[in-house]
Amino acid sequence: MADPAKLELLTRPAGEAGFQIFEIDSHHAYWAYKPRRLPQTEWEITAQPTGADGARHFVLKNLRQDSYLLLSSKEYYLWEYFDGRHSLEEIARDFHLAFGAFDYALIRGLLTKLHNCGVIEGQYLIDLRSSPAGASGRRWSRFFAWGLKKWRGLSFRLPQADRFCSILYERGGFLLFHPLTFWASVAITVFAFTLALRSGPTAANFAYFIKERPVLMASVMLATVLLVSLLHVLFHALACKAYDRRVREIGFFLLQGIVPTFYADVTDIFMSSRRVRVTVDLAGPMVEVVLGSVAILSAHATSPGIEQALLLGIGISLWESALINLYPFNFLEMDGYNILSDLLAMPMLRQQALALVPSLPQRLRSVKTIERAEWLQIGYLALCLISVVIYLVVHVDAISSLIRLA
Amino acid sequence: MQTVPDFLKNLSLFQDLDLPALSTLAALLVSTKISARAVIFRESSDSDALYIVQTGQIVISKHVQGEVDIVLTRFRSGDFFGEMGLFDAAPRSATAHAETDSILLRLDRKAFQQILADYPEMAARICYRLVTVFIERLRSTNEQAREAIRWGLEATGYSPTNDHVSFGRKST
Repeated sequence: MADPAKLELLTRPAGEAGFQIFEIDSHHAYWAYKPRRLPQTEWEITAQPTGADGARHFVLKNLRQDSYLLLSSKEYYLWEYFDGRHSLEEIARDFHLAFGAFDYALIRGLLTKLHNCGVIEGQYLIDLRSSPAGASGRRWSRFFAWGLKKWRGLSFRLPQADRFCSILYERGGFLLFHPLTFWASVAITVFAFTLALRSGPTAANFAYFIKERPVLMASVMLATVLLVSLLHVLFHALACKAYDRRVREIGFFLLQGIVPTFYADVTDIFMSSRRVRVTVDLAGPMVEVVLGSVAILSAHATSPGIEQALLLGIGISLWESALINLYPFNFLEMDGYNILSDLLAMPMLRQQALALVPSLPQRLRSVKTIERAEWLQIGYLALCLISVVIYLVVHVDAISSLIRLA
Repeated sequence: MQTVPDFLKNLSLFQDLDLPALSTLAALLVSTKISARAVIFRESSDSDALYIVQTGQIVISKHVQGEVDIVLTRFRSGDFFGEMGLFDAAPRSATAHAETDSILLRLDRKAFQQILADYPEMAARICYRLVTVFIERLRSTNEQAREAIRWGLEATGYSPTNDHVSFGRKST
């Protein structure tokens, strides 16, 4: 790290001739810096339940900018001190007494996060990541970087999503979250599932019709799944409104930079309870489950033929889509993962687990020193890996057919 | 003791002048003794002369707030300061204090104008060297501005190693 920048100040003592010169380096000034958070009317903080790893998190919301931060318990401790009366030196001393050690990087990192979130007075926002120096390199690597950037930037957002969802909720959307609606959905699903099980032996008949018109069947099923995934996202958003929380965005993006999908940004539910979060998480897949059930019931009421096969195909596809969505161990932050992280109260489980990967071989060599949190992360990684391998093995026929087609 | 022309001969500002020119110049300079901690000129006061440090050390500072100045630079034997006063009548842009007992050679604007009028070749040589020093000082000012900004960033905890950390849930 570079030497601290230095300033020399010349001061004149009051009523005396002459002057004195002081040299102040930036590090010294930094430790005398007294960070002051914005007035309490500008932010909201909510304690999260204690996680399965024993850690506790807090979600800080900037009410004006609608931005959020996840704070660890140590960061929360520091945040409480940022009242403009305590210097960083004093805070560090108290922190050391409370926790037995102090890492200077923690306070620096936290202040940067708080500055970026806009909850500290005298904030500055500097983005030096896109430095012109980064424009160098070979042509193909620049092209690759450009392509990757464009691919990752493939997204759009619905403007004023919160207003749109509020109107939709007030004009009938609330009925979807009535207990009667829920129980009716459960009844339909159970009934459809029973019928689907009974139809098992005649599945070959449906397969026959699907084989007859493969392009039509695939197109209709794909279009339906796409349409339902839109409804799925809308249900997440409406569920968020049902708990009087804000929908930040609705749009389309690449999940984890890979999977193109619609999304609803419901971060505001972190200001509510865990039960609410799980409910909002479940609201989306319920759409596939219920509509899939309706399709299967309709198939059952239709005479054998292409329509029946189509309805059954749609029903099964939607159920499968719900199942994939609810399955937490696939490396993706889908609803199942969100439910898992909510139940474990480990909101950064996936990120922490992936961050562990480079040091995993080394950590596994000294098993006794592995902490509870790391065991949970290793468990998550292992289950994801096993699940993906099983999925690929089960679908090996379909994958090889696709490769042959390509 | 070293004579004034001999002293001037070693200064970069006058390195292009021959001995007769240096003698002419020396005759126009006024030697002034300054006690340690004394003020040579204050920011915003009238500017009308350039000073050459013969002995001692001078600190140049600029007012920030209250009784606090920021130190811009220091000048030692052979350096000169206050050169802006030769060209314009604008108020001084900074304050000069003697940090130690010092001897300064003062060149008044009127004397400089006399050189310009009577010895144009000598004036041209001095001006050429002055421009070179101006450029050097301008570069140094840029560097100082950069350092001041770095100081501000570091003092308020800016850390370039930290990526922007956002938190959120996008339900899909």
